[in-house]
Amino acid sequence: MKKRTMQDKMNRQYLLLILPGMAIFTVGVILPLLLAFRYSVTSWDGMSVEKQFVGISNYINLWKDANFRQAWWFTIKFTIANTIVQNVFALLFAVALDSGIKAQKVYRTILFIPCLVSAVIVGFVWLKLYSNVLPELNEIFGTNINFLLFGDGKTVLSGLVIANNWQWIGYWMLIYLAGLQSVPSDLYEAAKVDGANAVQRFFNVTIPMLAPAITICVVGITTGSLKVYDLLVSSTGGGPGRASTSVIQMIYATAISGRQYGYGSAMSVTLVFILLLVAMIQVKGLKSKEVQS
Amino acid sequence: MKKKLLSAILCSAMIAGTLAGCGGSSDGGAAQAPAAEPATEGEAPADETAEAQEEAPAASADGEEVTLTVLAGQSTTDAGIEDMIDEALAAKYPNITLEWECTGWDGEFHPKMQQYMQSGLPDIIIGKAQDVNTYASQGLLGEIDATYLDRGLDAARENVTIDGKTYGLVYNALYQGVYYNKTMFAENGWSVPATQDELQAIIDDCKAKGITPFASHMVDTWSIGNVTMQFMMNDVFNNTPDWGDKFRAGEVTFADDKAAQTAYSYNKLIFDNTYPETFSTEQTDCDARMVLGEAAMKVSGSWSIQNFLDIDENFDFGIFPFPNQTGDSKLIFEPNIAIMTSAETEHQDAVNCVLDVLSGDKDLAVEILDFTKTASMLKDVVPTFTNPSQVDIDEYASKGMIVDVTLGNNQLVWGGFQEENASDIAAYLQGDISFEECLSASDARVGSSSAQ
Repeated sequence: MKKRTMQDKMNRQYLLLILPGMAIFTVGVILPLLLAFRYSVTSWDGMSVEKQFVGISNYINLWKDANFRQAWWFTIKFTIANTIVQNVFALLFAVALDSGIKAQKVYRTILFIPCLVSAVIVGFVWLKLYSNVLPELNEIFGTNINFLLFGDGKTVLSGLVIANNWQWIGYWMLIYLAGLQSVPSDLYEAAKVDGANAVQRFFNVTIPMLAPAITICVVGITTGSLKVYDLLVSSTGGGPGRASTSVIQMIYATAISGRQYGYGSAMSVTLVFILLLVAMIQVKGLKSKEVQS
Repeated sequence: MKKKLLSAILCSAMIAGTLAGCGGSSDGGAAQAPAAEPATEGEAPADETAEAQEEAPAASADGEEVTLTVLAGQSTTDAGIEDMIDEALAAKYPNITLEWECTGWDGEFHPKMQQYMQSGLPDIIIGKAQDVNTYASQGLLGEIDATYLDRGLDAARENVTIDGKTYGLVYNALYQGVYYNKTMFAENGWSVPATQDELQAIIDDCKAKGITPFASHMVDTWSIGNVTMQFMMNDVFNNTPDWGDKFRAGEVTFADDKAAQTAYSYNKLIFDNTYPETFSTEQTDCDARMVLGEAAMKVSGSWSIQNFLDIDENFDFGIFPFPNQTGDSKLIFEPNIAIMTSAETEHQDAVNCVLDVLSGDKDLAVEILDFTKTASMLKDVVPTFTNPSQVDIDEYASKGMIVDVTLGNNQLVWGGFQEENASDIAAYLQGDISFEECLSASDARVGSSSAQ
């Protein structure tokens, strides 16, 4: 009986501790989400008092909207490219820095610095690089390399992936580096005794032990890429044409600039649903691969 | 010991910071006033001061400290005028302080307005004349007193008046058309084209001589939207002034209307005769290349003048309307800075003081016009900057060949319609969609074409 009372006290204490956070989360996330869903079944323009109920017609119209489909297609390509490139290079850089090379701290700092810069500035810097700075190299060296990646719908994705990876690889590299440094050296020694070479040690010791870090990085990069906005605003503006318009950008343009708040809310509800779905699948899939040291 | 010392220093810094902050807030308003006084004494001549006292709205008399909030949706040329206004206001009404929130008109202005519509509008809103139509119809804007409106040109009221009430004080105006390098035109024996055939002849000659006919910066989608409205004004609205209303009524469509299609197709003419890297060229670079003689013409507006003259103050340029199919194109005129007020401001007297300064201080007006390189919409105010294209503007004005683009902008709104159509036109120029798809997309957007 006494034990139960103690447990009750503990529960009350837990509840008390999580209440402030829960209140902020409810007001900042849950309520706006519910409001967004409410608006998504109306034809509200964001300005008038009247919010006419239109049922699920906004969601039906989304399927017919070629621009929305194109925005999703761009966002998916951008996300896949980023997830692969950023994870691979971040891991490679982390392994390289963990191998005991000289001036490790200098390299680590250089790789990390870009992520301290605002994505808006990164976009602007790369716009200038592609448009003005790099083409000058053609003049100097007499080459004919196409650096105008943002100026063509066929190359704009590559240009953005380069800019985005330049900014974020250092950040994810640090997470991999922390993971690598926490792998017990006994495991490598045991693998060596068993006759495993460097590649075998990497795939059979390093990768399994890095699984928690991989989960964090994959989910982080995927959800971050799905929400890309600021980089695009200052670099391509979603263009040329609609070639680099992301879902978030389209939501903003539709709901705010286009005064179709209801339709834009339907878009954002869809995005939240897909973000949750992707994160859940990734976490579930990757967690099952994690091992404990 | 070191930790204790560090803790003591940090605590002292926090306490000092807190005290400084409190001190700052308590006399912050008072700190503004003395700064303004010398300006009043030093700058305002006695007779002007007397005149100002006579006309001053009631709020200035009691000297009550008032802070007014201002949301300014600025064009690229406008950034910086807020300091000029602050200075002039402090000289005449030192008790009034403006709390500015400056955004790009094309970017954050409308989102901000929508945000403020939920929480209450700022006391003063600075946007464009076309915004009056959008927001006055929602009952958000206050009527501007005739005292201040009377200081402006009659033409300034036309497109900011709804049901006999005027909700905007139009301050300056832009002209839009084709800017051309006068020296280049003279050297090559080109005369200003009035028809498409004459324009094509210049384009052909440019190409034969290795000159880029048009400077353009299509990386900025807004520039495509802007020139498209210029084309629409001369090929569509000049013949059918209520084309936008007919469009919404289903009487005309982009897919069927030849004139609208022609207007859209001019973008292809520009694209085929501009820098190959136009989708990577920003406005400043584009204008610089025009000044440096790399291109002969640029379809643009007065906002380019600031760049032209910053790059080379001796650059000699003129302006002509982009030729339409019938050869009777008019130069585009756009009321630009429009000062609006909140219908529910609690400081109407102070707001009137600001309107008094803006409409009555001619020195301020000249300073702003010279800075923005724009034309005046106030009576007896003439900018003093050298505008080589002014001769052309005066000539078109004398012939009655000027048209107010607000007619088109009010019928086919920028946000959600023109802006989106511009993206489709860019996609068409990039080869991502067909011309027919581009037209159909504009038709499908008919529901977003009006602010009503």
